[in-house]
Amino acid sequence: MEKLNDLQYLRLSKWKKFLYKLCMFFVGIPVFFKNIGIKIGRFFKNIVLRIKDLFVDLFLTFKNGDYKTRVSYLIFGFGNITRGQVFRGLFFFLFEVLFIFYMIFWGGGWLSKLGTLGTQGPTTEWVDVGGIDVEKTVYHDDSFKILLYGILTIFFIIAFIYTWRINIKQNKIAQEILATGKKLKSGKDDIHSLIDDQFHKTLLALPITGIIIFTVLPIFFMIIIAFTNYDKTHNGISNNLFSWVGFENFNQLVNVGSSSNFSATFGEILGWTLMWAFFATFTNYFLGMLVAIMINKKGIKMKKVWRTILVLTIAIPQFVSLLYVSKLFATDGIVNGILIKLKWIEQPIRFWEDKWLARLMVILINIWIGIPYLMLIATGILMNIPQDLYESARIDGANAWQQYMKITLPYMLFVTGPYLLTSFIGNINNFNVIYLLTTGGPNNPNSSTAGGSAGYTDLLITWLFKITTNDSNYKIAAVIGIMVFVVVAVISLIVYNIMPSTKNEEDFS
Amino acid sequence: MATLQLINVKKVYDNKVTAVDNFNLDVKDKEFIVFVGPSGCGKSTTLRMIAGLEDISGGKILIDGEVVNDLQPKDRGIAMVFQNYALYPHMTVFENMAFSLRLKRPKLKEEEIYEKVTAAAEVLGITDYLTRKPRALSGGQRQRVAIGRAMVRDSKVFLMDEPLSNLDAKLRNQMRAEIILLRQKINSTFIYVTHDQTEAMTLGDRIVIMKDGFIQQVGTPQEVFDKPRNLFVASFIGAPQMNFFKAELVREGNDYYVKTCSKTIKVDGEKGKELLNNDVKSQKITLGVRPEHMVLSNDPSKAIDLVVTVNEMMGSEIHIHGTTIDNPAVIVRIPTITLSGTNYTSQFTPGKNIQVSFESKIMHFFDENGVNILYPGE
Amino acid sequence: MNELKNNDEFLNEEITPEEEQALKQLQEKREEKRHMGLKAKSTISNTIIYIILGIISVIWLIPFVFIVLQSFRVENTWMVGYVLPKQWGFDNYIRLFKETSFPRWFLNTFIMGLIVSVVQTVMVLSMSYTLSRLRFKGRKFLMNFMLVLGMFPGFLTMIVLYRILSDMHLIGANAIWGCILVYVASSGMGYYISKGFFDTIPRSLDEAARIDGASRLQIFYKIIMPLAKPIVIYTILTAFMAPWGDFVFARYISNFTSSGMNVAAGLYAWLEKDMINQMYTTFCAGGVIVSIPITILFLCLQKYYVEGVTGGAVKG
Repeated sequence: MEKLNDLQYLRLSKWKKFLYKLCMFFVGIPVFFKNIGIKIGRFFKNIVLRIKDLFVDLFLTFKNGDYKTRVSYLIFGFGNITRGQVFRGLFFFLFEVLFIFYMIFWGGGWLSKLGTLGTQGPTTEWVDVGGIDVEKTVYHDDSFKILLYGILTIFFIIAFIYTWRINIKQNKIAQEILATGKKLKSGKDDIHSLIDDQFHKTLLALPITGIIIFTVLPIFFMIIIAFTNYDKTHNGISNNLFSWVGFENFNQLVNVGSSSNFSATFGEILGWTLMWAFFATFTNYFLGMLVAIMINKKGIKMKKVWRTILVLTIAIPQFVSLLYVSKLFATDGIVNGILIKLKWIEQPIRFWEDKWLARLMVILINIWIGIPYLMLIATGILMNIPQDLYESARIDGANAWQQYMKITLPYMLFVTGPYLLTSFIGNINNFNVIYLLTTGGPNNPNSSTAGGSAGYTDLLITWLFKITTNDSNYKIAAVIGIMVFVVVAVISLIVYNIMPSTKNEEDFS
Repeated sequence: MATLQLINVKKVYDNKVTAVDNFNLDVKDKEFIVFVGPSGCGKSTTLRMIAGLEDISGGKILIDGEVVNDLQPKDRGIAMVFQNYALYPHMTVFENMAFSLRLKRPKLKEEEIYEKVTAAAEVLGITDYLTRKPRALSGGQRQRVAIGRAMVRDSKVFLMDEPLSNLDAKLRNQMRAEIILLRQKINSTFIYVTHDQTEAMTLGDRIVIMKDGFIQQVGTPQEVFDKPRNLFVASFIGAPQMNFFKAELVREGNDYYVKTCSKTIKVDGEKGKELLNNDVKSQKITLGVRPEHMVLSNDPSKAIDLVVTVNEMMGSEIHIHGTTIDNPAVIVRIPTITLSGTNYTSQFTPGKNIQVSFESKIMHFFDENGVNILYPGE
Repeated sequence: MNELKNNDEFLNEEITPEEEQALKQLQEKREEKRHMGLKAKSTISNTIIYIILGIISVIWLIPFVFIVLQSFRVENTWMVGYVLPKQWGFDNYIRLFKETSFPRWFLNTFIMGLIVSVVQTVMVLSMSYTLSRLRFKGRKFLMNFMLVLGMFPGFLTMIVLYRILSDMHLIGANAIWGCILVYVASSGMGYYISKGFFDTIPRSLDEAARIDGASRLQIFYKIIMPLAKPIVIYTILTAFMAPWGDFVFARYISNFTSSGMNVAAGLYAWLEKDMINQMYTTFCAGGVIVSIPITILFLCLQKYYVEGVTGGAVKG
């Protein structure tokens, strides 16, 4: 299979062109992975180099440093204070002191228990309450707390090392500046720079702190949980403590023949999740575009009215609309009631109780919810397509359908390509629609006992939710969460690299 | 008083691309310097380094003898007019011009601000627009406001980044003249960036021609026109572009001959003497002759043969495009007043053979590396 | 965005942009008259389209019509086979406000909306402004990091957050404060659309201001913010609307304590198997009450929403 040059390619028949493209695509796959491998390799090589440079720098700074610098290796801020930057120096020094205090009184304790996640479970003891001996459970180690604060402590340690590094660097830079005869920045300068060239630090401080504590920490924690046996029976307090189990949970995932059926269930749910995401995204996309084109057509009146009607489904909160619709189609709901009354059917249609009917229903109802979004976006973009493209096509003799296929569609695809990707990924995690309509049901009788009950319309994410709230099986939830991440990351990577918009940015300007 | 010095200035971007290198320039007080060159040559980058909007990767920039490498833009005593004017859309013209004055510490009194703004507005003829917002102004008016905003700062160095690029041809000519007038009213040193060589020639006291990040030549308009240092400068300055012929310079004793297009032409007069003084050896060269310096000839011994491909009637001139043996794309400018008859284009129909010649005085000789043999510069 | 666009387009200088627009409109009107001739052919296709649109509109509106009808139904049980109430009345609405915790929930959600809209806007705008216009080491890393972080499902964080909040005593009855804290804390991650907006403001404005002597802080509030009105409004409105629809988190954090729930969590519970018989019609009433302000807000917001999404979509 050799590569053809442009002229040779143009000669091929339409069918052969397609085959050629297909071949090239498959040929490109190993190359693609090789490139990724190279990128990853380079990435790690870079890290190693950086670390090496770091150590070299630390060593040299010490060797070339004056006494102020050298003392700063032990006492933070010493260099700053003795060189006149009291404000900064105190900042560093206080940080060191606080950290040491923290480690002695709390941090050390948490760290030491991190290995075992607690050894003393709850015990019952006889306690004297107002003269009578009462049996009470006394809690000792709390695995959750140990893990949580242990991780927090590790974060602090990292922050400490980082600050130490900055502290050293300050000394090095200060020495260099003084050597050339210039002055160091004063405290006043520092404050002033916070609203000028360091303004980004001022603006980012609060949001990033929030993200670290409320997102990074929990996610990191949950990833770690996947390596423990934290669930209902090992919930860290009232029953037993939980402890490290290594890759055991993941083994269950890949072990196809295991008795708990975890792997099979996971596979089925993953399959449906991808199928759902595909249908949900693309039905909405094309139908939404179609509706937008219809409304946008010249000669159609009351454009605003049509759009507003459709937009209502976005405006009304989903827990109202979806929940209600779900009940509408219940076996004993209104739709069945009316259909029976009209004598169209005799038995109620079990919309939510048949595996494939339920799946069909969620996709259809999702169209109801999703088209308005797409219609809005498509309308906005349609108005921006340069009209002369169409005029030129009309002169060339293209009819409406051809114009749609050759001008509208490619333009739309280009502009909304990234949106399609985010939409696809969003649908993989589309909790609301599935959960509100079916809570994941109907129930899958073969579903895993290790993983908690799964249903036929469950997405990975609804399954995760049910496992967390209903079964308290946190370890499995963590595993699933990680798998969701893997799926999303892989898809993002692949699509991002093939996507036309990232390649042909100039085509449409 | 505002001199400007750039010493070995260099700019390297994060992705290892070198945008500017080895930039050395000495600007005298109140000089009008133009940076000119094709897109991507580094002229805007250099301007932005002077302004402080880009970091300097190497070398020094001094304004009035003070090194400004580490100074913020506002502390350098510069003012800048942007290509797209960068007027604050939500403020009136008055507020746009007053903005920098209001930020000064210690605070200026309102009357002072008013005085300065209205004074500048009067010079530029925009007093009637002071209460309008930018979106209600035409392009030319906006440009004046942008200049006004820079004027009120009383700065030492006035930077202009392709200010005329967004205007149509007619307006551009008009504004060019106005900028020349403006220069007399403002007491600053000017650094002006453009890609248009006409602007460079008409506006600058000296021109800095750049290509691929390096300075090609610095000189007055006359210098760069008459004595281009290399092929690039020769081709860049002057429109239509100079004609380049593959040729050979032959020295016989103390006489020099140019062999090209199967003809041998003696280099006489001043040019011949210059070649002799510089002891130029025989060598393969590129011969450069500007289109306007070529004339129709009757003397075959001194002329080269040209086959016409197209002609362009310009009104007072006719531009003849043709091929010769050693240059497939020659352009000759003939003033129509020198031609006989009334139908000029019919005298130069495609395929016609004509003969053109040129004086030694306006010959340019470039060696194998494209460097001007007589005026190589440093 | 008209102002900014015209700053960069210079077609004919001596005609102001407004005059040009008037000219264009005149030309368009002439063109329309010319096209009257093609009317016949397009009438057929237009009629078809009208029919389709009509059917679509009916389908789209039916559920809401039903809800409204049901909310006026006095007879209570939910298993009925008809839509029109046999008995009309405001009973459900009265019950909603007098006998249930709905007013409490409404108040809770309203407070949440107010506080969240302010704080979240500050957080999001800080983040998107910084990423859009300020350049610093680690900027790309930060954006990639948040991208990767966003690939993890949000529910993973639930139990940890619950624990943290519980240690801070912000659960149960105090759930609304806990929820507020959670909503705003990580809201910086939702910078994408606002950043896209900021990216459309020409960088040269910042540079001109710097040369004029403004510090970055001054550039922020003197130059950029006045131009950012649309996106600020958008952010405030979306932030306000968020707590109204969250039925997962609020329920979890409130630990089923009614006084700490928001409307979504509360109403959700009414349709569970044990309550549905009693509360079905009341649910409808509650749904209507909640939907009205949100819908009005959204319709006002619609224009900005589209700009935001297409702006982000176009720039990728």
